[in-house]
Amino acid sequence: MSPLKNPESSPKNSDSGKEYTPKAGHDKSPETGKNNSNIAETGCLIPQSEPAEEDGKITRMIILGPSAEISNTELVRNLHMMEFPLTIKTTCYGAAISGEKEDVDEAIKRIRKLDPYNIFTKDRGFPPGDPRRCRAKRGGAREGFHQLEKEFELLDDVSKALKNPRKVKVKKAEKISPEEFKKIAEECK
Amino acid sequence: MKVAIFPPNSMILADLVERRGHEPLVMQRQIRKKVTSAEIDSPPLNITEKEPIEGLKYAAIEVPSGVRGRMALFGPLIEEADAAIIMEDAPFGFGCVGCARTNELCMFNIRKRNIPVLEVTYPTSSEETMELVNKINEFLDSLEDKNG
Repeated sequence: MSPLKNPESSPKNSDSGKEYTPKAGHDKSPETGKNNSNIAETGCLIPQSEPAEEDGKITRMIILGPSAEISNTELVRNLHMMEFPLTIKTTCYGAAISGEKEDVDEAIKRIRKLDPYNIFTKDRGFPPGDPRRCRAKRGGAREGFHQLEKEFELLDDVSKALKNPRKVKVKKAEKISPEEFKKIAEECK
Repeated sequence: MKVAIFPPNSMILADLVERRGHEPLVMQRQIRKKVTSAEIDSPPLNITEKEPIEGLKYAAIEVPSGVRGRMALFGPLIEEADAAIIMEDAPFGFGCVGCARTNELCMFNIRKRNIPVLEVTYPTSSEETMELVNKINEFLDSLEDKNG
């Protein structure tokens, strides 16, 4: 670790008397005493970022529906043109964006306007390119991809329903009477 | 309004909730807290021994640790929810929790909370899908928007 330029600003470790130099996003480590090197036991690189709650960084997936009027390239180009400080990754389903919550939310809001009924978004826990999930390191499809593939089957109908909304009645589930319950129980005997 | 969805990682449900101006309570949010924390020793250990202990709030000690560990993630979402949407009979691909007993416990906890709940079944045809979307939208519109 390189020493800090301003020694006054670095807290002293009371046990060892050694100076603690916080790394970017790792100023909480002296209590745990763990080695925060970015190489884990498995040899994978662990992204050195702060817990999401603290730095407000989030990742979102933008999924283009089957009848989308824009392509992945157009989507990513538009995202870049917004000039938000985001990490943008082109993917087979659309794009993954990562950055501060406000920027990501604003980008999503604007990008939806391009094709409101065919652009879907989803939160993602892992940051883009994370070696624990990224198929470049692991091989095979990312776990969430299979889920996305399944949901993709419904997207065409979902976008049709969003385009042509209809009034429907939502039935509220009600409790059944004890007599009715007895009847059901007897039928199941 | 904060709306819990079940399965908690469904893209379609989360997207529909967001489109209507509500906040979907999704699993990924909980996962993010685990995986971006610098305290993790090694990649597969996203769930540590702390989670089954936290899960005791939702399930008894006799319940398998897998259920309790999962409940440590879902439980806070259920507690935070002002409304919920449950999709029953959803296939694995629609958002799998990976444990049938946890599914049951989650649904039980949601129903027990006495919040507005919409229960729908997984659509098997195009017509059913369209009706499902309309139902969800209708339900979401009927909720009071507390998010402003």
